[in-house]
Amino acid sequence: MAKANVANYSVQVKNLEKIYRSGDIKVRALEKVSFSLGEGDFAAIVGPSGSGKSTLMNILGTIDKPTAGEVYIDGVPTAKMNGNQLANFRNKKLGFVFQAYNLIVGLTAEANVELPLMMTSMSPHERRKKADSILSTLGLSDRLMLKPTQLSGGQQQRVAIARALVNDPTLILADEPTGNLDTHSGDEVIKLLREISRKRKVTIIMVTHNPDITKYCDMVIHIRDGRVEKMEKKGVVK
Amino acid sequence: MRIDDFLWLSYKDLTEKKVRTTLTILMVMIGVASIVALVSLTEGISASVQTSLQTLGPTSIILSGSKGFTTTDVSRLSGLPNVSAVIPIIEGSGHLLANGQNTSVTVVGISTEGITELLDGVNMYEGSLYSDSISPTVVVGQSVAFPSSFDGRQNLQVGYPVTLYTGGHGSSQSVTVSVVGILDSYASLIVPIDSAVVMSLPAAGLLLHRSTYSTILVRASNTSTVNSVAQLITNIYGSSVSVVTTQQIAQTADKIIGSITTLLVIIAGISLLVAAIGIMNIMLISVYERTHDIGILKSIGFKNSHILLVFLMQSLIIGVAGGIAGIAAGVGSAYGLSYISSHVSSTGAAGAPGAGPTASYGRGPQAHGGATFVAAGGAGQAMASSSSSSISFQPVFTIETMAVALLVAVIVSAIAGVYPAWRASKLEPIDALRQL
Repeated sequence: MAKANVANYSVQVKNLEKIYRSGDIKVRALEKVSFSLGEGDFAAIVGPSGSGKSTLMNILGTIDKPTAGEVYIDGVPTAKMNGNQLANFRNKKLGFVFQAYNLIVGLTAEANVELPLMMTSMSPHERRKKADSILSTLGLSDRLMLKPTQLSGGQQQRVAIARALVNDPTLILADEPTGNLDTHSGDEVIKLLREISRKRKVTIIMVTHNPDITKYCDMVIHIRDGRVEKMEKKGVVK
Repeated sequence: MRIDDFLWLSYKDLTEKKVRTTLTILMVMIGVASIVALVSLTEGISASVQTSLQTLGPTSIILSGSKGFTTTDVSRLSGLPNVSAVIPIIEGSGHLLANGQNTSVTVVGISTEGITELLDGVNMYEGSLYSDSISPTVVVGQSVAFPSSFDGRQNLQVGYPVTLYTGGHGSSQSVTVSVVGILDSYASLIVPIDSAVVMSLPAAGLLLHRSTYSTILVRASNTSTVNSVAQLITNIYGSSVSVVTTQQIAQTADKIIGSITTLLVIIAGISLLVAAIGIMNIMLISVYERTHDIGILKSIGFKNSHILLVFLMQSLIIGVAGGIAGIAAGVGSAYGLSYISSHVSSTGAAGAPGAGPTASYGRGPQAHGGATFVAAGGAGQAMASSSSSSISFQPVFTIETMAVALLVAVIVSAIAGVYPAWRASKLEPIDALRQL
């Protein structure tokens, strides 16, 4: 089985390349990027603008395809999957947390968290129960029926985290999750993510500009000009 | 995904933009309402014409000619094979004064036996039938007894004398007649019974200064002999007399009503087409606005088909809501229109004595005392009589009409919604998420 080859790694990136063409000009966004993360690892990707962080995140999130190389998530290669397989894969294995929260504004917090569960065979009642219980764990038990516009930034981001978490994914991809938040709320969100990676054994990859918050991570991947410049293993801050 | 989840998400999205949704539903509603109203109205007219023809009987042959008919004609026709009845009729126009109300009427002379045959048994609303003698006793039709100019209240009492004027206002001559009965309401094509003052043949001849009959109704022994009898009569009289069978009238009426219906439905269909374009327009705007949300949904595992259904469902909801509202509005406006048309036509007839129903028959040269003859000589003229005076109609609503209207609304909405929904489903999540 494919899974045996990648043993303990939940995420394995091998020689990833991405070349964009704009007219005759080729832009090499990623070059020979390789790294592996274990179950429950909390990794940060840092680097200047245009370094290829977003491209890497999009490929990890299966919403963009690499020019060459392979990504294994939970031992499964993602590059060759078709549209419906990818949708299914994203639903079961991945969770997304965005800088702008990206909640559906017309729906309540509870309904937003319920959305990924609609793809499962769960009954509406079970779905609601599960969404409520996750929101409660994240301290939002009294905010279930509020719409995103009625919530603070930190609360909205926690709803987004609940949505990313609700299908028990292998990997959560967080793209500058603290970018729109003040220092205090940002700190809360980072601590929450770290707790999730620890307790639920979910691998988390986070893009950030803020060197302060990398101290909570197990690993920091520095990217520059599409290459992995440095891999930094951190001693975990208790 | 469960179907109710799609419905719920679609509904949520629609209620996010209430004004826009309401206006789009309104567009569908107007299209469906016009189809339902127009089809029910023409079906109502058709049904009422067919009812009148039924009253007339499928074996009827109507003879009319500019020279009129005499008793010789009657006995000659009675002697023909396969003829079961010959009913001579005298008809002219007049107006009647009672309680200060001036009502335009058709003066009809027909034997009691004849009217019984014509109406397939006479039902009296009140009183009894006149006698066949020359005495000035009359029965009146419903709209004479209850004129709309009198707000539909009873204007005539049985047993009271009324003044009947024949001829125009200038050269009119008046006679006092005694009302002995009021007829039930009848839809009749040859004679506008409801707006008639009916009396015996000799009484009508005297009153209208006629020595001839205006119309003769011949009944064939059965439906299979009608055409041969009609042919025989045509051979006898040649072109001086017009011979029309009920069946010919029915066919012509069907053809005319059919083509009017087609035309009206096409016009109503255009409004539904406009609604379809409206739906497509609104849905395209909606997809554009929702691009970012579509990206979010795709990132959390919605498939293309899921996105397609969420948007297609919105068009369907608009179609179903507009269709149901349209049926209700169509039923309402059909009743409204039939009320208005009956109201307008009856007051019009009452307000212009002589210029109303009988005017269209005024092709007879011998207008004794200003009276005109009924000449139900052509199907078109018979129709004119039906719509202008003697026939009131109710719209006819069938389950088929409504089901088809609703189905058309749903299909049209679905077709209009497919392209926007398809565009939504094909959005790449990476592009969709980039757009804010």
